[in-house]
Amino acid sequence: MRAAHRLARAGGVIAAALMLSAGSVAAAEAWITSQLADRVSLVDLDGMNVLASVGVEGRPAGVALSPDRTRVYATAPEAKAVFVIDAGSRAVAKKIALGSGPLGIAVHPHDGRILVADWYEHALFVIDPRSHEVLARVTVGQSPSGVAVTPDGRLILTADRDSHQISLIDATTLTVIGTIPVGERPFGISIDDSGSRAYTANVHSNDVSVVDLAAGRTIATVPVGRRPYAVAIANGRAFVTDQYAGTVSVIDLATLAVMRTIAVGAYPEGIATGQGGRFVYVACWEDNTLERIDTESLIVTAKTLLPEGPRAFGLFVTD
Amino acid sequence: MMMHGHGGFRGACLGVAALLASAVLPAQAHGPTRQKVTETIEIKAPADKVWAKIGSFQDMSWHPAVAKTEGTGGNTDGATRTLTLGGGGVIKEKLLKYDAAGKSFKYEITEVDVKVLPINNYSSTLSVEGDGTKATVTWRGAFYRGFMNNDPPADLNDEAAVAAVKGVYTAGLQALKKALEAGG
Repeated sequence: MRAAHRLARAGGVIAAALMLSAGSVAAAEAWITSQLADRVSLVDLDGMNVLASVGVEGRPAGVALSPDRTRVYATAPEAKAVFVIDAGSRAVAKKIALGSGPLGIAVHPHDGRILVADWYEHALFVIDPRSHEVLARVTVGQSPSGVAVTPDGRLILTADRDSHQISLIDATTLTVIGTIPVGERPFGISIDDSGSRAYTANVHSNDVSVVDLAAGRTIATVPVGRRPYAVAIANGRAFVTDQYAGTVSVIDLATLAVMRTIAVGAYPEGIATGQGGRFVYVACWEDNTLERIDTESLIVTAKTLLPEGPRAFGLFVTD
Repeated sequence: MMMHGHGGFRGACLGVAALLASAVLPAQAHGPTRQKVTETIEIKAPADKVWAKIGSFQDMSWHPAVAKTEGTGGNTDGATRTLTLGGGGVIKEKLLKYDAAGKSFKYEITEVDVKVLPINNYSSTLSVEGDGTKATVTWRGAFYRGFMNNDPPADLNDEAAVAAVKGVYTAGLQALKKALEAGG
């Protein structure tokens, strides 16, 4: 009895130690789609070096991670599929044939359902993370691109690029419960940690729409650099990739004005927050770099080379 | 900037496909995969001399396909130019970022028929590096294919777009090298 107890305690210690080490590894990694190279690469964000690169056909663009970080999902628009990568073995585990042009992707934070926006079918596909079957097809606006979910898991948002709006989808009933007009041709969409505001990067009007989700309306429009692509929220600031300008515009969320413009590599695209908001990471499509911005000093503090054409459209950082 | 000798793009089938494409699709669509092309060439000439030859946004006479450059705004960001090609096509372009000290400028195509150049949403950077004896010219572009919907016809697909832009870059850079190394 006592021996068993001691054993169980020892087991607990070992398990805790394993979790700790797994946690520390998972805390600082990124999965980056390199569209022109047909690869998805794993980057160690502490050392800023590529640990592994997985071949994925069909021009992978969007990326999302399962809540437990054991699975990586990459959309491949030209394969008309979503690929499931096993993060442990770093290999493709499954190809899910889907739609006509799957691009934007997110994962439900609680139940792991995979949410895929289809550019050509003007719909959001909802996929079961275990059976990989399509649970629902929700018609949204024209050419949905970015997808995001509120932290409480209740609301799914799509940026409907060619309808100049976002769609609000009830995550339980999977029905569209409303739309909100934003700037011209919204592409990336992000939601803050409190779930109160959403931000869209509007490719054509060169600005960011700030949407109050409770009020159901756009409360501010912030001009940024040319061809904004996506937004990451960290440290009370919104970081916006300006594709044509080759910059990241930093918006102060208290004043809703641009406080700094940071030069990065050419064609910055996917951007995501890491390490509890201490850094944001930017994939630069033309220069083939992943660049790390310190969210306090607003300086690029590290970069690493990636295979051709990194896009990383989605939440690509493990933590 | 379609080259002479790249006339294969002008077939009747392509004409129909191009009409279809421009009629049905929004010009700003981003559905397909963006492509990139980078071409470089080394020239045995001072970098300043190379830049003097290609650094004016209002003069693209160094490129053999360009018959005439007309524009306004000089080398100021936002300046525009219209290139008339020897083959008859027209390309309208806008200067995005001019960096005299860095010997580099970035521009975009604002208007071109896919029969002239089978691309969409094209932007490009032309830059010169080097010293007093030799220079490297880099020309890089980012663009989408001519057919912006799914399942493109062969003449308006990704490969056709890349081949066309490569052709433009290679022809221009080789002509530039030849002219400058000959003392021009």
